[in-house]
Amino acid sequence: MNNKRRLWQIFGPVLCAAVLLLVIFLMPWERTFSKDAIYQAANSQTNTIFKGSLMKQDAFKDGYVPFYGSSELSRLDPLHPSVIAQKYHRNYRPFLLGGPGSQSLAHFLEMQGTAKQLKGKKAVVIVSPQWFTKKGQNPDAFALYYSPLQACNFLLGIKKDTVTNRYAAKRFLQMPEVKGVIKLGMKRIARGQKLTGFQRFYLENQRRMLNNEDKFFSTFQLRDRIKKINKQAKLLPNTYSVKALDEVASQQAALNTNSNNFGINNRFYKRRLNKRLLAKLKHSQRHFNYTKSVEYSDFELMLHQFAKQHTNVLFIIPPINEKWSNYTGLSQEMYQKAVSKIKYQLASQGFDNVTDLSKRGGEKYFMEDTIHLGWRGWVAVDQAVKPFIAQSDLPCNYNIHNYFYSRKWQKKPYQISLTDENPVNDNSKESLKGK
Amino acid sequence: MNTNFINLQPYSNPHYFVYLMIGLIPIIIGLYWGHRLKIYELVFSLIFLFLIFDGEKWQQGVSLIIYILFQLLVTYGYLYYRRRKNSPNRTWVFYLAVILAIVPLVLVKVQTAFPQAKIPGVLAFLGISYLTFKTVQVVMEVRDGAIKELNLGTYLRFLLFFPTISSGPIDRYRRFAKECDTVPKRDQYLNDLELATRYLFQGFLYKFVLGWFFGTYWLPRITRAAMITGTAVGGLKLSWWVVAYMYCYSMYLFFDFAGYSLFAVSISYFMGIHTPMNFNKPFISQNIKEFWNRWHMTLSFWFRDYIYMRFTFFAMKKKLFKNPVRLSQAAYLLLFLVMGFWHGLTWYYIVYGLFHAFAIIINDCWLRFKKKHKDKLPSNKYTKWLAIFVTFNVVCFSFLIFSGFLSQLWFGWQ
Amino acid sequence: MDTKKEVLAILQDLTGEDLTDRMDENIFANGLMDSMASVQMLLNLQEKFQIDVPVSEFDRNEWDTPNKIVAKVENLENE
Repeated sequence: MNNKRRLWQIFGPVLCAAVLLLVIFLMPWERTFSKDAIYQAANSQTNTIFKGSLMKQDAFKDGYVPFYGSSELSRLDPLHPSVIAQKYHRNYRPFLLGGPGSQSLAHFLEMQGTAKQLKGKKAVVIVSPQWFTKKGQNPDAFALYYSPLQACNFLLGIKKDTVTNRYAAKRFLQMPEVKGVIKLGMKRIARGQKLTGFQRFYLENQRRMLNNEDKFFSTFQLRDRIKKINKQAKLLPNTYSVKALDEVASQQAALNTNSNNFGINNRFYKRRLNKRLLAKLKHSQRHFNYTKSVEYSDFELMLHQFAKQHTNVLFIIPPINEKWSNYTGLSQEMYQKAVSKIKYQLASQGFDNVTDLSKRGGEKYFMEDTIHLGWRGWVAVDQAVKPFIAQSDLPCNYNIHNYFYSRKWQKKPYQISLTDENPVNDNSKESLKGK
Repeated sequence: MNTNFINLQPYSNPHYFVYLMIGLIPIIIGLYWGHRLKIYELVFSLIFLFLIFDGEKWQQGVSLIIYILFQLLVTYGYLYYRRRKNSPNRTWVFYLAVILAIVPLVLVKVQTAFPQAKIPGVLAFLGISYLTFKTVQVVMEVRDGAIKELNLGTYLRFLLFFPTISSGPIDRYRRFAKECDTVPKRDQYLNDLELATRYLFQGFLYKFVLGWFFGTYWLPRITRAAMITGTAVGGLKLSWWVVAYMYCYSMYLFFDFAGYSLFAVSISYFMGIHTPMNFNKPFISQNIKEFWNRWHMTLSFWFRDYIYMRFTFFAMKKKLFKNPVRLSQAAYLLLFLVMGFWHGLTWYYIVYGLFHAFAIIINDCWLRFKKKHKDKLPSNKYTKWLAIFVTFNVVCFSFLIFSGFLSQLWFGWQ
Repeated sequence: MDTKKEVLAILQDLTGEDLTDRMDENIFANGLMDSMASVQMLLNLQEKFQIDVPVSEFDRNEWDTPNKIVAKVENLENE
């Protein structure tokens, strides 16, 4: 008897703590975030925010527009979309999603948590042709952006077996970071089967825990860039005009790129491009090829998600710094072929808001560094974003084609682009359905 | 790359503890009812060892097996030599046995320091540094005749005892052998369970909460700030950030390692083995000597017993030094140099060793001075706190050297 | 030969203090003895009593009070 009491004294508290922890993590908690916290989160570009749900959901209900992209989003110069929106009291604020190495597959997964909130709303996508390498999403980078919570959302949200679901599951299975029951679930989906009862039960509980984790901890470790945004905003003219913005952009760019002949930001040049590296990079990108890539199909996953949400999307295709591509030997012709494929994929499915900046890499002060938009490039972005947001919110309908998941499309060398002046006609859509 | 293998590094994540505790339940119930389930214990240990060295780490596993076979050969060879009737017990044979036992570790350390110079067949594996302490210790005690018999099974269990295999604490063979086949009395075992549970949770607090804050949360920020400010000021690149780094790293080192050690001790206790503690509130030490009696205790006691005491014993017997003070100073220098080299062949580990050698030599001088002038020197609450403060800062500074951060700051490599 | 007396004499030689009335005091904890002194003590004991104490056999916990040392020495003498 005495021994039993001692055993209880030793292990009782542990058991109680374990039960309590389980209860806490499985309870449906409510939490709202302050406006300041959301504003900080929208501009912080941290992985926690990218992977989570709740912050984004609250933000999208409150006038934030997601800006999906990658490393260019962190170029916070005075003309950055976040700074412009703040300075001119726009009725929207950008919610920056993505960072170095985030490509379509990471974005598709990340979008799983906010399907409801973006229904019939707007979004901006900066789609970099650099994503479209042969193998697409880099698995190491994917590991940084992989969110088990969103993977649960993806799996539990599947209602029937479709080409999209199978393709997505197959792609996720190629990422080593996808593990455990989620991996088992993906395997079933990839084979066209349903989740087992146990998997469903397990994943639902896992999702509940992860959702709570998201609620409790997503405000931790936010990167505070509000001060920087306010500081940059002071450099802008008080009344908005494209000409005045362009002037500030040129002036700022001139100040910040005077250390080199490439028009690259001094700090970037100093830190990332030492002499040895520069010598190594010369002519190193001659064989780069963005025209044949699985990324085209991963990108289709994003488009499919937008279509499902009836989201009105503006696509921006950035250029490459021309002086830089001349130096590294990256072929502009190849680049344009990749752009033509992206544009065809968009236009043929009804995504008509496309701003193609890809030929403007030679314009002075358009780029912040090698491949990232900056200063005057951001001004050009704003000229597209401003009228786009001014449109009224109407649910958009798209014509999604499974053809874009095919090897054939991934490997197609180029496609005559269907530009805005030459919209898709019904015939070309018909021909697609036949394939 | 085969990603289907489950590979579990000891005490690295919550899953590990869940699997571990489930595996321990039969052992705990057995010991509680007075039985040691030897076969189950063996299988359980082998599974967890396997999980450390499977998948991508299989080469390390092979290395470990070869290493163990080699060490068995050395130990049993020497034991055979010593147990022959009228064994001549020659010194050179003893030296040879010790050297052979250390050779693999030396090769691994050289290989780690000079990765370009590929030494064929040499591959470091998790725990080699700590295994070497165990085998060298046994060779030395065989020499002294303290170990006369070495049961192969017990010896293997001692070497491969999985709770402590990766980084100690360093147990002693004779102590381990006494316990590993017996069952503690129920009362005693209940005490063990109580301590085991406490240590486990203290370990969680240390390693996953405090260690995380210092090591994962603050340290990278401080590092970045120190590097940027350092580049800006030039010269020796010193700034207050380096001081912040010093304290933060020291705290990280303590909580991370003490947390790990608590896990190892805790799991041992669950298995009815009293693996010795590694830390005893090191930062309240009033001098460096006391510090080494409280910090990484199993390591410093090992060095004390097998290097310092043996060296002084030998030197005194042979009357190598006239002055015992000089002798102890030489012994300290030897001890800490060996410790420095054991950590690795880089300048900052060796400087760390020298730093501590000089610190403890100065400390000894001071203690002698204090003893002589006992009546004139004040000794009260304030001097005690002053002593703790000075010792703490000296220790933290030594950890700054140890961290290799200065190397990164000055030479760009670590 | 009085073992206790001899041991105390050796200890006094090493620590500079008479421990006759402090037979159960922990002489490591109070800083009177350290590793160096214990090695010297072992050598002195070897000389005085013709006993052999290898360093391996020196477990601090078994040698940390004058009483324990006396008991140890008596034990080894009778072996």
